[in-house]
Amino acid sequence: MKKNDSRIYDPAVECMDRDELHRIQLERLKETVKLVYDKVPMYRERMDAKGVKPEDIQTLEDLSKLPFTNKSDLRDQFPFGLLAADKSEIVRIQGSSGTTGKPIVSGYTENDVEVWTEMVARALAAAGGGKDDIVQVTYGYGLFTGGLGAHQGATRIGAMTVPMSSGNTQRQLMMMHDLGATMLCCTPSYAIFLGESLKELGYDLSEFQLKSGCFGAEPWTEEMRDKLEELFDINAYNIYGLTEIAGPGVSYECPAKDGMHICEDHVIAEIIDPETGEPLPYGTRGELVFTTITKTGMPMIRYRTHDICVLTEEPCSCGRTHVRMGRITGRTDDMLIIRGVNVFPSQIESALLRVSGVAPHYMLIVDRVNSTDTLEVQVELTDEMFSDKVADLERVRDEIKEQIKSVVGISATVKLVPPKSIQRSEGKAKRTIDKRGLTE
Amino acid sequence: MFITQISVYLENNRGTLRKLTGVLASAGIDMLGLSVADTSNFGIARIVVREKDFSAAIAALIDAGYMAMKNQVLCAAVPNRPAGLDSVLAVIDAQHLFIEYMYSFNYSLDGNALMILRLNSDEMDNKAIIRNLTENGVRLLTQEEVNAL
Repeated sequence: MKKNDSRIYDPAVECMDRDELHRIQLERLKETVKLVYDKVPMYRERMDAKGVKPEDIQTLEDLSKLPFTNKSDLRDQFPFGLLAADKSEIVRIQGSSGTTGKPIVSGYTENDVEVWTEMVARALAAAGGGKDDIVQVTYGYGLFTGGLGAHQGATRIGAMTVPMSSGNTQRQLMMMHDLGATMLCCTPSYAIFLGESLKELGYDLSEFQLKSGCFGAEPWTEEMRDKLEELFDINAYNIYGLTEIAGPGVSYECPAKDGMHICEDHVIAEIIDPETGEPLPYGTRGELVFTTITKTGMPMIRYRTHDICVLTEEPCSCGRTHVRMGRITGRTDDMLIIRGVNVFPSQIESALLRVSGVAPHYMLIVDRVNSTDTLEVQVELTDEMFSDKVADLERVRDEIKEQIKSVVGISATVKLVPPKSIQRSEGKAKRTIDKRGLTE
Repeated sequence: MFITQISVYLENNRGTLRKLTGVLASAGIDMLGLSVADTSNFGIARIVVREKDFSAAIAALIDAGYMAMKNQVLCAAVPNRPAGLDSVLAVIDAQHLFIEYMYSFNYSLDGNALMILRLNSDEMDNKAIIRNLTENGVRLLTQEEVNAL
């Protein structure tokens, strides 16, 4: 791996004393709440319905008095219903396609584009970016925030910015090679594809100058990081964001590679219990919720990301003081409640991976028998697990059962099924069948 | 002295065994021996075929979605008379070997019944197991002898 030349873009802010940071957050939160109450009918109606006035926000804890905002609200208010600024003040629209129905869009004032740009600049600097760098942006350009977000950030740090957009693998590699790109901004899956193609097309890695990359826009794993760092001989950093809040850069990794620092001077992050909506303390896994405190175009109050992760306030070795979020381990959309316990398919997956020889091909079947929820976990057999002896198979099955019990906290019946009998999916894998008929 | 057996994982569903025999029938495989170990949740079918049929049987099973693999077992010739089996098991017992499972075979050879044995030992490796059994008068068939059945 190449030498790490990570730096802190704005030490005064990124390493700010937390008490001072909280003071600034409260001040900005009050302004934002007042702004949306005055300008956005939906927020005013919802606050009135809860009997909350902007003046009721006196501490950061008062945030929990405010109503949540959901993705469906952006769809219902499409396109301009949630604008807090006059349309003439909006200088940019970004959006996401969404898998069903209408897209969602977000309007940015000049200030909002500036805030977002600064977030990405911090991320790129943390990945070692500066004016001597050549940054190849391989995220798609367009309504999707990846391309333009990375582009703005790279330009801000003074780097030579190469707006490749996505696709055309041969040309990507040719430009990366010929221009001597030092940094890559890309989705991790496409980056791995690029890395593998590099070898196949007969390029010599020693002729490349790449030293690091900021990878995001989809969940990825530590195994993928290892793979990327090996394929390109680089430092691979995680970057997170969402259009509703800004775009990539809402949080980003530092050289510690141990969670992503959230730009807390621009957003307030909360973790809530996805069922009850109650805020949870740092260190507890739950749903990530963001409130923007500097946006003026389309501020978001307690926006539910449906992403599941853990926040930590523990000091980081890099010196930054902003809280860190761990990798996204699931989506609340995937969550099952079994005998009152929240169960995520990703937890089952990690339990399976603790048992040697087990591959993460599984299906969860939830049912209700005599008023009690039952969970059956179907796991595909692998060559390593299979045996001609009944006792061996029973041992594997019991070990899986035990790991599920220890990771998830509930007992499940485990059924071993033949290889490839569980449906494979190109996109989001279907991992659960709920037979209880509880869902609407 | 080991012979090869094919083990197949079976889900505990109605018709599961018929589906298995159907797959082997379509592939034209002659089964010399079959045993099914069943638990309340799953089963394991153990099948003996001639060497020439190994690849075709495994390929047909995997194509049909089965978990199937080859493994080594012993095939013992057991005198077809009272106390015949007892004399073989006495040897096994005296050597402190465990029987993981055993089943009888559809064929006989020279007046002997044929038994498949899956043995295990805390102390002996496979070679030593075979040596100890044959030295104590247990006749074990070779794969070639099984192929000729």
